[in-house]
Amino acid sequence: MTTTTLSDSERPRVAESEWAVETHGLVKRFGPNVAVNKVDLRVPRGCAFGYLGPNGAGKTTLIRTLLGLTHADSGTMSLLGYDVPKHRDKALARVGAIVDEPRFHAHLSGRRNLELLAAHREPAAKERIDGALERVGLAQRAGDKVSKYSMGMRQRLGVAACLLGDPDLLILDEPMNGLDPAGMHEMRNMISSLVAEGRTVVLSSHLLDEVERTCDAVAIVDRGTVIRQGPISELLAGASTILQIESSDNDKARSLIENSNLGLQVDAGTPGLGITLPAGVGRDIVGHVARLLIENGIELYRLQSVQTSLESWFLEVTSRLGSAQ
Amino acid sequence: MTAVPEVTMPAPRRRDAPPNDHRGSWIPNGAMIAKRFMELRRRRGLMIALAVVTIGIPSIFLIIRLLMHAFAPHTYGPAGGYDIFTGLVAGVLYIFGFIVAATLGCIAGAGDLQEGVFRHLVVTGRSRVATYLARIPAGLAIIGSLIATGYAIVCLVCCLAAPRDLNYQGTNVPAGLSRASLVTWAGDNYGPVLCDFPFRFNGGPKGGQNALFPPPCNQNGQIDLSQMPPGQKAPTVAQMRSFAEQVAEQDYTDYSKQFLSPSIGLMVRTGLWIELEAAVGFVVALGLASLIGQRTIAVILMIVLEVILTPLFLRAHIPHMINLQRSVVGIAMDHLGPAALPIAFAGGQNDQSQIVMMTRPWAYVVVIAWLVVWTALGAWRMTTRDT
Repeated sequence: MTTTTLSDSERPRVAESEWAVETHGLVKRFGPNVAVNKVDLRVPRGCAFGYLGPNGAGKTTLIRTLLGLTHADSGTMSLLGYDVPKHRDKALARVGAIVDEPRFHAHLSGRRNLELLAAHREPAAKERIDGALERVGLAQRAGDKVSKYSMGMRQRLGVAACLLGDPDLLILDEPMNGLDPAGMHEMRNMISSLVAEGRTVVLSSHLLDEVERTCDAVAIVDRGTVIRQGPISELLAGASTILQIESSDNDKARSLIENSNLGLQVDAGTPGLGITLPAGVGRDIVGHVARLLIENGIELYRLQSVQTSLESWFLEVTSRLGSAQ
Repeated sequence: MTAVPEVTMPAPRRRDAPPNDHRGSWIPNGAMIAKRFMELRRRRGLMIALAVVTIGIPSIFLIIRLLMHAFAPHTYGPAGGYDIFTGLVAGVLYIFGFIVAATLGCIAGAGDLQEGVFRHLVVTGRSRVATYLARIPAGLAIIGSLIATGYAIVCLVCCLAAPRDLNYQGTNVPAGLSRASLVTWAGDNYGPVLCDFPFRFNGGPKGGQNALFPPPCNQNGQIDLSQMPPGQKAPTVAQMRSFAEQVAEQDYTDYSKQFLSPSIGLMVRTGLWIELEAAVGFVVALGLASLIGQRTIAVILMIVLEVILTPLFLRAHIPHMINLQRSVVGIAMDHLGPAALPIAFAGGQNDQSQIVMMTRPWAYVVVIAWLVVWTALGAWRMTTRDT
């Protein structure tokens, strides 16, 4: 690759913002429907960020708005520190994105499709085609027409297209769609490796389990509104914990716990019992439960504190908000 | 809403856009044009269809004529020549060239949208106008080369396989004669001249007082005095020679427009004209398809414009709509064509008085306006389209 020396006056302005994506009061309407409702979103640089929500929550609309595929009705937004749409060309120069399912010219090979897209980027993008194909595992099939590709291969070609610009920010809309378990595993690894290189990956998905495995921080969106955002570990710290118990006499154990002054509600699980510990309850409650059972002659086979999954927390949060409304 | 605390991660990348990156410019670069050319050219079915129409149809027609003339030269005339040239150009290359160019334009205009690739192009940050404009030189290169190939074949055959004698009104006449030479030739060949050449009396045939009307011709187009009506005096040879010379004098203007083969000047002008027609078809279709985002409907509309509306507006003088008729691009293109060619959609006729008239400068204005307006509409829709 060639390098160009620029004088100070020629040197482009450096994007200094600490946020890869930042929006304030972003609104997008389709007639009477508000698809994106006053969204304030801040995605830190250099992390994997999940944008979570059920189908129809407005995830894809927000991405399309950020990328200039549709126009916002109000609000401000920036990508990599550049205001968009004002400096859209500079911002998108370092952005790679898949929106909806990746679609390509079916009559062209994967490589030809990438050549077409690379021609719309900087000249160096053409030299990245081989590397991008290699990285997504399509080098052997690059000469085949896209019409012969499976859905998973198209997803990978979409990621390869994202890599042509050597992006600092990748926005992937439902990248796990159509992938088999092995493909999902590969995609997770790829996202991790991209983040390890210092890139930011914004991952839109309704698959909470996948986001929990892949991302460091999330924003939860429902009906166009961001209802929570932050690092997953901190969000889940405010969620309940399940205490799972297996013992020699589960019925007696249940009776003892419910009649104690611990104030816990016990559910019969399979196998054993489950106790939902509200957020903020200290770990000492586990010791109290263990002592109570052992002192009453019950043998403990298993006593395990399990953190609520993102999925359970998501359902908990959204149902709580739903009932509040 | 909770604030997002700092996340511990590897040092994030902070880079600017690539230096000297003009992706905000509305001018497409060479790579964009070249790759768009590649994308269109690799539509195999489309390319075959375009080649069949622009190259295949004229070639097959000429091959059949060559074979027929080779096997039965007295029954079937030469494959080439001036008449074949003008007929093929006005009847095939001009009309079908427009239609295939429009088809290509519609696919270039709406292909990315319908195949879901447009959004990939947009997220590169490249100007949407540049993305649109890159299609024009790419598409013109394809359609221009196809039509040029078909036209070159027509020119080649029409020149190399041109007849040796000019066939004027069914009679073989030496080509390129001066007025005096034609008159002399007519006197020497008064038989076919009197039987085949058109002639008129002052005041019309009924008012004419000429012993040779109607000429005493047999079924072979030869003078046969036995065909004279009973009681009428047979003309002398001198009378017949004299009358044939008068007929030749009358017909010289028409004869002088007949050639064995097209001249180089005519071929060049005609070539530029059909290329311009194809360019108009492509650019208008590109804009229309981009505007409506649908290639099938756009193709249908373009065919309706060329095959139905243009002939209708060309030949019908509709009261109060004459200026509207003059603003139709097909009519303007007809007025820019070489005068020697028959008018398209006029059944091979070249009678300018039968069509809606406009000046040549106005025709240029109409054509340029169509190119500019449809390009602007297509580019505007491309920049405002949600995808």
